[in-house]
Amino acid sequence: MLVTWKYRPRNTFIQRLDPRTRFILLVCTIFALTIPEIWDYRILLLLFLLSLTQFLMARIEWKDIRRPLFFIFILVFFIIGLNGLLSGRGGPSSVADPNSPIIFQALIPGTTWGLTVTISKLWFAMNQVIRILSMALPAILIPYTMDPNIYGTAFKRMGASDNVSFTMDLAFRFLPTFARDLTITIDAQRARGYEMEKLKGGLVAKIRRLAPLIIPVTMQSTVTGEEVIDAMDLRAFGTAPRTWLKDLKYAPRDYAMIGLGVVLFVACCVLKWGFGIGGFFVPEFFTNFVLG
Amino acid sequence: MNNNSTWEFGTRQVVYGAIGAALYGAFSWATNFFPLPAAGNITFRPAVAVLIFFGVAYGPIVGLLAGFIGNTLGDMISGFGFYWHWSLGNGLMGMVPGLIMASITDFKARSQIIKAVGWGALGIAVGMLFASLTEMFVGGIDLNTALVGYFTPAFLGNLVVTAILLPILMIAFAGVAARRGR
Repeated sequence: MLVTWKYRPRNTFIQRLDPRTRFILLVCTIFALTIPEIWDYRILLLLFLLSLTQFLMARIEWKDIRRPLFFIFILVFFIIGLNGLLSGRGGPSSVADPNSPIIFQALIPGTTWGLTVTISKLWFAMNQVIRILSMALPAILIPYTMDPNIYGTAFKRMGASDNVSFTMDLAFRFLPTFARDLTITIDAQRARGYEMEKLKGGLVAKIRRLAPLIIPVTMQSTVTGEEVIDAMDLRAFGTAPRTWLKDLKYAPRDYAMIGLGVVLFVACCVLKWGFGIGGFFVPEFFTNFVLG
Repeated sequence: MNNNSTWEFGTRQVVYGAIGAALYGAFSWATNFFPLPAAGNITFRPAVAVLIFFGVAYGPIVGLLAGFIGNTLGDMISGFGFYWHWSLGNGLMGMVPGLIMASITDFKARSQIIKAVGWGALGIAVGMLFASLTEMFVGGIDLNTALVGYFTPAFLGNLVVTAILLPILMIAFAGVAARRGR
């Protein structure tokens, strides 16, 4: 019953990289943005371009990735972007600068409650989208460009124990199976008259009505689990240290990419903590542009 | 409560940790489109009930792995990137209810279901508080935003989901386990 991701071998630079290199580069990008709390648009743009370059270099066919990209962009732009624009949450406290010029305001009459969109919040929302995409784009590539057979080996070679590596490996393999089971269950329930698009009632009623989707998939997975445990026990899993069929070796290009990641991370830390560069600010050209 | 079998990390924990993670990732991905009101970047996740169920049924190691890996997978395929502190918070959310695994002997008994929901609530509190407070250092938010904007809606939303779906999952599991005979 195990199925894999929609992975296809492609002769690209990205797929020739060692999987550990890609994980390390991804972690370096995330840490470079989050640990020194980088919100400066110049650094964000640089990291975004690096992530976008990786994404384009992966050469994933449009027909394969258009659907997930569509949903991901809706999430990033409408949930994260709009949330940043309207609430200013998810970023440094300087976003809520009370002196920032107001672009739009709709208050409940007689109160100070309502919606206030400032230049600062608008710029923050744009930065937030760029920042999230910088971290998301290399992560999106992984299921399409990394052979599912080497996830376990990659984690093992990065220092994880056999059990943890195998858990990661199995989780990556099970995910598309359960996503597919969920789709089949939705279709089966629809055939019985279940209308997912018309979940009526309050929050509690809506959650309760998700049970016909969640329960069958979860219960079936527990049965599948017993079969997998039996199969692994029959192969004496866990009785001795495992050997892994696939071996991984770093090539010069891997060292170059890991070096790039480390340099980016260190540079962001030094810029922020050493020179005070990298914090959130609204550039003058943006304020002038919005205010005309 | 914390006997050897509770903290055992063998084949069963590997497999159910992976299954829990994959389910949590798949359900999170499917429900990432329903954000809680005033919840910052936190999304509404009925999948939390599944995570807590895996903790209660298979122990703290399974809960920790399912929460940590599952949240990472769900965020990755939703395009959110990787946020280690939220993944670790989700891991704690699965691990804490797993501490009562050994004391849950009848998944249909009302008292044990109530106990599981109670420990689930504790797990949600611990996990979401950890993630919300670490967001102060990672995301640069203030304490008020961490508690009011992140922790409170995440805690309440996950608690409601758990209180409704966990009993259904436990009763369904009792039936499956009885048919399977182990």
